Amino acid sequence: MSLALLAQLTQEPTPISAGPEQVHVPGPDIYWPALIPLMILLVGGLLLLTFSSFLRGKAPRGIFAAATVVIALASALSVLPLWAQVQGWSSLLWWDIHPEVTGPYTTIGGMVGVDGFTLFVTIVICAAVGLAALLTDGYLRREDMEGPEFYVLMLLSAAGGVILAMGNDLIVVFVGLETLSIAVYVLAGMHLRRVQSQESGIKYFVLGAFSSAFFLYGIALIYGATGSTNLVQIKAFMSEVVPTQNGLLLIGLGLLIVGLAFKVSAVPFHAWSPDVYDGAPTPGVAWMASGVKAAAFAGMIRIFVLTFSNYESTWKPIVYALAILSMIVGAALAVVQSNVKRMLAYSSISHAGFILMAVEAGSDMGNSAVLFYLAAYVFMVAGSFGVATIVGRRGDGHHLLADYKGLSRTNPLLAVAFTVLLLAQAGVPFTAGFFAKFYAVEAAVDASSTPLAIIAMLSAVVSAFLYLRIIVAMFMSGGDDGDDGPVPTRAERIPVPVGAAIALALCVAVTMVVGLFPNLLVDAAEKGQPALVQYETPSSASAAPTGAASGTGR
Amino acid sequence: MVELIWLVPALPLVGFTILWFFGKRIGEPLAGWLGTAVVALSFLTTLVVFAGLWNEPDHTFQVDYFTWIPAGDFQVEIGFLLDPLSMAMIMFVTGIGSLIHLYSIGYMHGDSRFPRFFTYLNLFVFSMLMLVLGDNMVLTFLGWEGVGACSYLLISFWFEKEANASAGKKAFVTNRVGDWGFMVAMFAAFFTFGSLNWSTITSQAPGLAETTATLIAVMLLIGAVGKSAQLPLFIWLPDAMAGPTPVSALIHAATMVTAGVYLLVRANPILAASAEWVPWAIAIIGAATLFIAATIAVAQTDIKKVLAYSTVSQLGYMFLAVGSGGYTAAIFHMITHAFFKACLFLGSGSVIHGMHDDQDMRHMGALRKVMPFTAFGFIIGWLAISGVPPFSGFWSKDEILSYALHKSPVLYVIGLAGALITAFYMSRQVFMVFFGKARWGASADAELANLDAHDTSAAGSAGDANDLGEATVAADADAGPVAVATEHHGHDVQPHESPWTMTLPILVLAFFALVAGVLNLPFTENLEFLNKWLEPVVGENQAHLGLSTAKLLAEMAISTVVALTGIALAYAIYMKKKFDARKVELPFFYNGWYIDHGVTVFMGGPGRRLFELIALFDRVVIDGAVNGVGRLSRGGAARLRTVQNGYVRWYALMVGLGTILIIAFILTQVSFS
Amino acid sequence: MTAAILASEGGGSLGFPILPALVLVPMIGALVIGLIPRSRPEVARQVAILSSLLAGVLSIVLLVKFDTADDGFQFTVSQTWVSSVDIKFFLGVDGVSLFLVVLTGILFPIALFAAKPTNDPKGYYAWLTLLMGGCMGAFLALDLFLFFLMFEITLVPLYFLIGKWGHGRRVYAATKFFLYTMAGSAFMLVSIVALAVIAKAGDGGQVTFDFTKIIASDSLATNTGRWLFLGMAVAFAVKVPSFPFHTWLPDAHTEAPTAGSIDLAGILLKLGTYGFLRFGLELFPEASVYFAPLLLTLGTIGIIYGGIVAAMQRNFKRLIAYSSVAHMGFAIMGLFALNTQGVEGSVLQMVNHGISTGALFILLGFLYQRRHTYEIKDLRGIAKVAPVFAGIFTVVMLSSIGLPGLNGFVSEFLVLLGTFMAHRWWAVVAAAGVIIAALYLLWAYQRVFQGEPDEANASFPDLNLNERLVMVPLLVLIVFLGIYPKPVLDRIEPSVNRILTRMEEQVDRYDQARTQGGSELREVPEGGGHGEGGHGDEGEHALSVHVTTGEVAP
Repeated sequence: MSLALLAQLTQEPTPISAGPEQVHVPGPDIYWPALIPLMILLVGGLLLLTFSSFLRGKAPRGIFAAATVVIALASALSVLPLWAQVQGWSSLLWWDIHPEVTGPYTTIGGMVGVDGFTLFVTIVICAAVGLAALLTDGYLRREDMEGPEFYVLMLLSAAGGVILAMGNDLIVVFVGLETLSIAVYVLAGMHLRRVQSQESGIKYFVLGAFSSAFFLYGIALIYGATGSTNLVQIKAFMSEVVPTQNGLLLIGLGLLIVGLAFKVSAVPFHAWSPDVYDGAPTPGVAWMASGVKAAAFAGMIRIFVLTFSNYESTWKPIVYALAILSMIVGAALAVVQSNVKRMLAYSSISHAGFILMAVEAGSDMGNSAVLFYLAAYVFMVAGSFGVATIVGRRGDGHHLLADYKGLSRTNPLLAVAFTVLLLAQAGVPFTAGFFAKFYAVEAAVDASSTPLAIIAMLSAVVSAFLYLRIIVAMFMSGGDDGDDGPVPTRAERIPVPVGAAIALALCVAVTMVVGLFPNLLVDAAEKGQPALVQYETPSSASAAPTGAASGTGR
Repeated sequence: MVELIWLVPALPLVGFTILWFFGKRIGEPLAGWLGTAVVALSFLTTLVVFAGLWNEPDHTFQVDYFTWIPAGDFQVEIGFLLDPLSMAMIMFVTGIGSLIHLYSIGYMHGDSRFPRFFTYLNLFVFSMLMLVLGDNMVLTFLGWEGVGACSYLLISFWFEKEANASAGKKAFVTNRVGDWGFMVAMFAAFFTFGSLNWSTITSQAPGLAETTATLIAVMLLIGAVGKSAQLPLFIWLPDAMAGPTPVSALIHAATMVTAGVYLLVRANPILAASAEWVPWAIAIIGAATLFIAATIAVAQTDIKKVLAYSTVSQLGYMFLAVGSGGYTAAIFHMITHAFFKACLFLGSGSVIHGMHDDQDMRHMGALRKVMPFTAFGFIIGWLAISGVPPFSGFWSKDEILSYALHKSPVLYVIGLAGALITAFYMSRQVFMVFFGKARWGASADAELANLDAHDTSAAGSAGDANDLGEATVAADADAGPVAVATEHHGHDVQPHESPWTMTLPILVLAFFALVAGVLNLPFTENLEFLNKWLEPVVGENQAHLGLSTAKLLAEMAISTVVALTGIALAYAIYMKKKFDARKVELPFFYNGWYIDHGVTVFMGGPGRRLFELIALFDRVVIDGAVNGVGRLSRGGAARLRTVQNGYVRWYALMVGLGTILIIAFILTQVSFS
Repeated sequence: MTAAILASEGGGSLGFPILPALVLVPMIGALVIGLIPRSRPEVARQVAILSSLLAGVLSIVLLVKFDTADDGFQFTVSQTWVSSVDIKFFLGVDGVSLFLVVLTGILFPIALFAAKPTNDPKGYYAWLTLLMGGCMGAFLALDLFLFFLMFEITLVPLYFLIGKWGHGRRVYAATKFFLYTMAGSAFMLVSIVALAVIAKAGDGGQVTFDFTKIIASDSLATNTGRWLFLGMAVAFAVKVPSFPFHTWLPDAHTEAPTAGSIDLAGILLKLGTYGFLRFGLELFPEASVYFAPLLLTLGTIGIIYGGIVAAMQRNFKRLIAYSSVAHMGFAIMGLFALNTQGVEGSVLQMVNHGISTGALFILLGFLYQRRHTYEIKDLRGIAKVAPVFAGIFTVVMLSSIGLPGLNGFVSEFLVLLGTFMAHRWWAVVAAAGVIIAALYLLWAYQRVFQGEPDEANASFPDLNLNERLVMVPLLVLIVFLGIYPKPVLDRIEPSVNRILTRMEEQVDRYDQARTQGGSELREVPEGGGHGEGGHGDEGEHALSVHVTTGEVAP
């Protein structure tokens, strides 16, 4: 914050000669509507915490989950008018809003930018929180860890995610990143009776701190090089000046890449994720795998694609390499796992690879591909981990492939749902996953990085094998015509809590519907273009935000 | 009248269809009579058509019914070309066909699949007619393959015996080798003429590029060699005797095997246009075949095997004729041969029938007493094939010989040698079967004892060249006389004459075997009916002998002498026992010069090993590669996995390394100045 | 050849959209079956039979209403699906696809009647009907994306059919099939996307997957075209399967349930050859001509090699599977003869192979029901105890061997003829395939049907009425197409000529001799090889060159 203020003070020198007289330091004026979604999450989380302390013990079943879902929903809804405003619609459904300013804008003194991209990601994050909350409910009861903390943490980290997504200034981005992460570190260690949980918490924390350090150092270097932490100004600086010594700048960029690559668990910064996913409480994992990544990718787009657009030659190759590594290593390692949670962890790594491929395209097509992928991915992965949550059974310990044998007989519906989600992840037609992969590939090909596309598709084949393995376990074993093992019966079916059921139904529905009518999501994804908008100190005291007449920053 | 031609093949087809669906319900003997009736009817139709053909312009009539295969400029019609050649063919095909059908009623009596047999026979007659009548190569090919399939079905008619099954398959596969040639010939022909109609081809062949013509001719020759059991593809015919005897008579003597000759005659303009050496090759193949086959026939003990090899040898004569430009001679011999060989086969069938399915000539003898009609017919056939004037065989064979002489003396000599041996082994057969003293019944054992003694030497390597030499399945004859002989020890048979349905056809055929010579008597131009009749088809490409009467008579005399010598020799050996038969019945001959054996050994050995090698290649290399990829990726992943060891310090290290790499890359981008 | 002509609403355009019906009826059927409770398998069966029969009837209607003369696409239906990238639900039928559609319509109901599942009928029927819909869609799709979608979606049902209802190493076989084909399609997807992206240039900056538009905009550089063709070719070669990509087929066939084998051999393999024709020859004329020798060689190898390997098999079903490799070799060969006879023959070969091999697999299914083995050594002398079975088998076998008068011959003959016109030595070699075909089939027949039955086979029941009825339509087709293929060829020809004409227009290397084999010679037989001397430049015309010298040399 202070840095940003300094940046502004430098813009308007104030008379120093003057004595101790009142000087009006123009504080940043805030366009509150832009912050409503964030506030809802933040405040909602805190309220949940405080109020829950009143009704200790006699909390009605699922109240916290319900509350969380409501909060998430509210936040998501509150995004819509903003979206309408950004898109420059004069009205939203029946309610006609006449925003003074349309198009993307920036506020709080250029600290945060509001554009289609941010809003889209915000919604995605809210969805992730909602789903995770639904899963959590049954889980906590099963593990008798009832209490609001889990939800609060998720809400807080969601808030962090939103900050990260809308951050228009490296500092803000960092703040968001940390808020996001720290909450998640705790989440990972939530399960008191599972050693692995504690361990994963520690692991995640240590490594996360490690990477954050890189990130922070990167910020410092860039500030040193460009004299600003504000993305807009950094960009402006770079487009005006071509420094004879860009070492600082570029290394700073590199360190930022490290920081974010760690969050999206791109190879070789992925090592933590399998262990953490394996150990952490499964609903928490659902959130980590979906929401956290979404936020981190949002950051990537803002920083690399937008800000450093004219240093593409520097960051594109790196992202390229990260993408290839993530896709291949993720897929390959997933295949040799015997623990479904780890499998999903690795497969999520290779998914990250796909998204990186879209990021690497660095084009409008690429950005919307990223958004589409994130949206589709959140539902697929949340659903998958949801199934894992359920099959994990009491103690959250049954995650071996063997534990899935004959699921098609004990819980047919559950098996079918999981199959849909897995096939979707494999990129089978008529599922959201297929279109996600397709758009990513299209973006890559369009950006004439065809080899990347081919590798991507082949890695998809490899990871398909993994999904097939799970499907085989569920359907094709457990006693078809003289097959191995006894035939499990309905008797030993695994109980499916209501919340989880709803979450799964949602995930499957979205996956299928988007697969059949991708238009719904594609249009939004294409409208959700990110933009960097120059902040202009308001001449009048009007709280109106500064419009984007200047157009997008690219 | 000539329009009725469609009926000729249609009738057998109808018969086939009815029998195929309702044969079982119709049952014996009605199914037999039905089958016979349709073929007989189609024979009558043929006569009508024949009458009609007289007043067609140069005895040729062509008709197209509908388009079979239209593809761009490639149009194949279903249509018939009725010209003197096809006319002559269909006449004896339907004629002999109906006789043999009649015979089969008696022969197949009591067989469990009696109706099925006539189903196949009708189908065969239909295919044969298509082969002959087809007005384009493709339709001919249809018949060509059809007869092949029928012969497969009929040879392995009694499929319960492995030997028969293998024999049928062997016949089909060997024929296919020939069919390959036929197909390539068709492609080349279409490439050159842009059409596969016989009329187009024959009319445009004269102006054909020699190399192209040669290619087509050679490919046709391969086809013909396969079908007509010439060297080196004759190996299937002897085994084909595994089929019921009427089949041997109809398919493997009278009709199907002559298809090759028919094809070459049909394509005579192409042969004419092709290089010099092609006719030579044909003639040489013919000569070689006729000689080798004849020698093999000398040592056979199975009554049908003798006839089988003699058929091969007679077909050799026809090829010799074609090669020497004596197309009519070839057709002439084809017809006469059809009569006497069919007669002989039916005779042998009657004998086998009478001997209760014993085919070993050494169990026979003096049968003329018990089966007079059969004997009578058989003897006429024998005289005919031996080339004794005035029997039909004499005239046709003599004509071929004179063409051979006209081509080259060497061929002529080989031809004569063949004639000698033919006369010898046929006489041998007749004496062993119908004369001498009876070796059947109680008197058998003594005889057999010493016979077996010598036969052990003859009992050569058995085994037919069934593809890839699966466990060698032995057809009777191959199993060597020992097996057969011992098999019949003590058990005494009482031979009896066969029913009229069997003897009548024999006698009819015998009659034709006697008189068929008049078709083409050489003495004066106007006696050469066949020559005149076939004029439009083979006219310009026919070699012209222009023999003086003296020369003609001389040749006749020579061949007569040769024939009689052969008979005399046989008489000396087998009746008078002047000297030991073992001197002539060499194991080398008995085992057919080990050609068949050689093929078996090759196919069973290197051939099969090659196939197995390829299969192994598929399993190990190609599929191995596929699975290898999978195994590789899993292996690699497993190795990669060791990094994932759960130690935070390791992970931190990885992050650090990654960072260093990135920085390193960036440093390459950095500009210092 | 403009889009307008291609998409001519020519021929009988019916009152209602028949093509979508063809695709949707089975898919809806599958959906309905999915909703039927497991406890009512018979209902599932009825629905399956009903929907597939309905589709079959529709396909017959299509055949009747089809306008023979029209060489364009008929009954075309176009419905935008994903507007942003111009993905359409664009269906159309021409002479090439017509009979494959009809084949699908006929073979699927038969497959349903021919075999019943061992367990869990509901899923079995659902997958089977879904598979039918997918095949229909693939054959009718005129939108590359839609085609790919359908091409891919067929994997899933067959994967489950093999993996769940198969026998032996079914999971291995199913997984191999799925991954192998998917790997192939990976390249295709990239090719398709690239094509669409390139087509942007041709189609006013709009990405399009519309087949006709892409055809119309010839904005393909020679080199690009070749690469993209290769991408497609891999996918199709795997699907066909062409040597050396064939090894998944024997495994899949051996382990698949009867219905699976029938449809796999009868329909799915055709997706490959059809793809080669529609999205190879028609889309990349230049590349097709360029790579023709390569693919001809693969085809030839397939014919001979497949035959030899088939001869060595100990498992009857595996043997037939390899025979499919040989037969499909003919299909590929004919396509890349690139002349009327060849291509027409190839299309007909697809149909014929579908009928003959389908029939063979049905018969093998009957065999398996009775003896529960495919091992040749366990079978003997069946012809004696089951004459009807043997008789029918003989007919089908002879048609598969290519006996004139039965269907197989016509197509194989045309293919070889066409190939001879273009590259004679390949034809000469391939013609030897007929020998091998006779070899392995007759040998197998002898070992299985002939000889004395041992006690295991002595009690082999002959076909019952139902089984005979199932065979009737196929036998009728086998005979009918053998003696009167004209109606089929007449409908195929215009479309084939359309494709070849376009090829002639676009490719200068495309030489006349391929369309009118030595027709010059017809006028002046003395011309000997003059006509052919023209294209003596290509090796395979050595002979004709020789001829020329033989003539010209003064």
